[in-house]
Amino acid sequence: MRMTPTVIITGILALLAAITLTVVYWPYATQDKTPSEIFRARTAVENEGRKIYLQNGCVYCHSQSIRSIDWVHGAHRIAQTGDYIADEPVALGSQRTGVDLSQEGGEHPDDWHIAHFINPRYTRPSSIMPPFEWLGMERIEKLTQYVQSLGFKNADQRMARQRYWKAESIKAYEAGPDENARWLAEIAPEGWRNIPNPYPTTEASLQRGHKIYQNNCIGCHGPIGDGMGPAQPWIYPPPLNFTILKGREISGGIIYYQLMNGITGTAMPYFKKELESQKIWEVGDYIAVYFINQSDANAEPRGIDAAWEP
Amino acid sequence: MGEPNLSTEVTEKLPSSNPTAKAFTLTSALWFAAATSFGMIGAGYLIAPDFLANIEYIHFGRVRPMHINAVLFGFVTPGLLAAAFYYFPRLLRTELFSHKLGVFSAIFWNITVAAGMIGISLGYTQGREYAELPWPVDIMVVISFSLVVLNILLTIRKREERVLYVSIWYTTAAIILTSVTYCLGNVIWKPDTGALVGIPDAILLWFYGHNIFGLLLTPMGLGVAYYVLPIATRSPLWSHSLSLIGFWSLIIVYTHIGTHHLLQVPVPTWLKTISIVDSVAMVIPVMIVLINLWYTIKGKLGEIHADIGAKFVLTGTIYYFFVNIQGSMMALPHVQRITHFNNWVVGHAHIGVLGFAGIMALGGLYFILPRITGKPLYSKFLADVQYWLVLIGVTGFAVVLTIVGLIQGNSWYNGEALYRTLPMIQPYYILRASLGAFIMLGAYIGLYNIIRSLYFNRGAAT
Repeated sequence: MRMTPTVIITGILALLAAITLTVVYWPYATQDKTPSEIFRARTAVENEGRKIYLQNGCVYCHSQSIRSIDWVHGAHRIAQTGDYIADEPVALGSQRTGVDLSQEGGEHPDDWHIAHFINPRYTRPSSIMPPFEWLGMERIEKLTQYVQSLGFKNADQRMARQRYWKAESIKAYEAGPDENARWLAEIAPEGWRNIPNPYPTTEASLQRGHKIYQNNCIGCHGPIGDGMGPAQPWIYPPPLNFTILKGREISGGIIYYQLMNGITGTAMPYFKKELESQKIWEVGDYIAVYFINQSDANAEPRGIDAAWEP
Repeated sequence: MGEPNLSTEVTEKLPSSNPTAKAFTLTSALWFAAATSFGMIGAGYLIAPDFLANIEYIHFGRVRPMHINAVLFGFVTPGLLAAAFYYFPRLLRTELFSHKLGVFSAIFWNITVAAGMIGISLGYTQGREYAELPWPVDIMVVISFSLVVLNILLTIRKREERVLYVSIWYTTAAIILTSVTYCLGNVIWKPDTGALVGIPDAILLWFYGHNIFGLLLTPMGLGVAYYVLPIATRSPLWSHSLSLIGFWSLIIVYTHIGTHHLLQVPVPTWLKTISIVDSVAMVIPVMIVLINLWYTIKGKLGEIHADIGAKFVLTGTIYYFFVNIQGSMMALPHVQRITHFNNWVVGHAHIGVLGFAGIMALGGLYFILPRITGKPLYSKFLADVQYWLVLIGVTGFAVVLTIVGLIQGNSWYNGEALYRTLPMIQPYYILRASLGAFIMLGAYIGLYNIIRSLYFNRGAAT
């Protein structure tokens, strides 16, 4: 084969044309533009927030693409073509340095996000996301609106729930410590309220509880559990001051339930996907021992003795 | 139909001065230093996110695309072009069509890359990975490529050697095809967003993004290898047939595989199937080229070792082998369940773009420097130091980032929350930044050595 300039140039261009038609144009021409069941159009503010998202490279660390093999954040819904029909450009992402955001809308209330943008470690102590305080409040609020729309109709439902419980939690907080503690106990189902922490307090369990507290809780509740962590100025109702709970009938079961499920409407997230059972009991006991100064660990009724207990 | 015999260099009639090659050499060395500095800032953020906090213009989300664009369009492409502007006149037995045009294209190229960097740093980005540059800069990139295309096509037209050597095929194809795929990939007909809508945008983006490596860096890197290795070892190319099959199979196979970035996304299954099959088929163009090159230099490692340029180039071919075997493997859906979305892929990208294409560009630069200046390198010692710094850095990257990727991938696949994996991988981010410091130091040493060799070299003329 004689490689003349004509052979090279026409050859490569013909091949490129044929292949582009097959692997780019054909899928483009036959695309399915049907909206998925959760799709809705974005509002003007949400679109502005999306521009801020793209401008500042959020897409390099956060995917918006849930796969069938995913387990945790947003994994309750696998991505469909119809979710992306309004995205120009599409922001699927190629790396997860942070979590996938496909279903982020309504996972947290707005104040959590604002504290998180000011400095991600305020709400997530182990986060490696850089702070975005420099965006200024106006842009942070738009970005928050966009993030709260991720998941479309699913996000709207979650946001409605966040707003309802936000009002409830503010009412309880403003009614004073007695009322607030009562509310916090009552939103746990009755069975949980009667369960003490079933495992004994040990030096080792407190050490582990301390570590879990530092990695997850310290940003809001603070190093001495008084609710004065660095996130506090941005959050309302403010993070709970554990020291007010003494003598207010907060069982180990209530603490476990609230850590597991979070308190919707407040910045308190759920930890059921991140902390296994033992870790939740241990951080709960750490809070009870050190901050509430009243632990019901290993108290009756205990049920069957655990196999590893001495 | 044989190749021009490279075992003796053609020197008659050609003035040794080559301002175009010099300009692109300097461009590449400068942007290598800049790009690794951006990378270092990014690596710093991953260790300590409050480091340099709240500085808008260099925060992670901006410095990452600055790093990538500076590497692709500032360091590697101009480095490979510098070698091309040297070997085109040699292989075609003619002077370059126009050195004025060549130097102008180098200056314009620098303005373009600088405009892109400043733009991204100020937040002017289209937010598409590898296609971030805003529309006016896109146009400048296309002009830059077109100026180079014009110069090399007109040089080919006035050539006195009828037979075109393999390096000419590869580089001509790379520059022409990238001029086209750049326009397509950046959706240049839609200036405001530079994007299509929905999933087809992702398909187009990865078609383009993969072709930046597959149709620009790879063929130009191979062009340098096909030129440098036979000359350094004074051996004729092993097989013309393999050169031909390697070239055409690369053009055909590489263009099909971009969708392997989207195997876990709702794109048509037939398209995923094509991308997987062709990703595996990549072993054909890769091994054909490597067999051809490695047989050419068989038994001549001493000559390779004696020439620092050829030493870089041979190392580049070894990384070419690794990156492609790894790439074919990563396109298998079962493997990708672990490797996708994490640092494994970042490791792969560094093996490809630095280990293969970047090292190939450095090889080209060091090979041509004594030949375009007419003097030995300012310091062969510093070039060797740079070789080892870059080699240790990129090999360390491959190891460390692969480990991080396996930790992340296996944790996620088994239900661990991403947030919980962050403390696990932190030590590796520190190692990664340390290895990055090797690469950055190498880049600055190279910049010093290249500037001294070009302009302040008191060494004796050869």
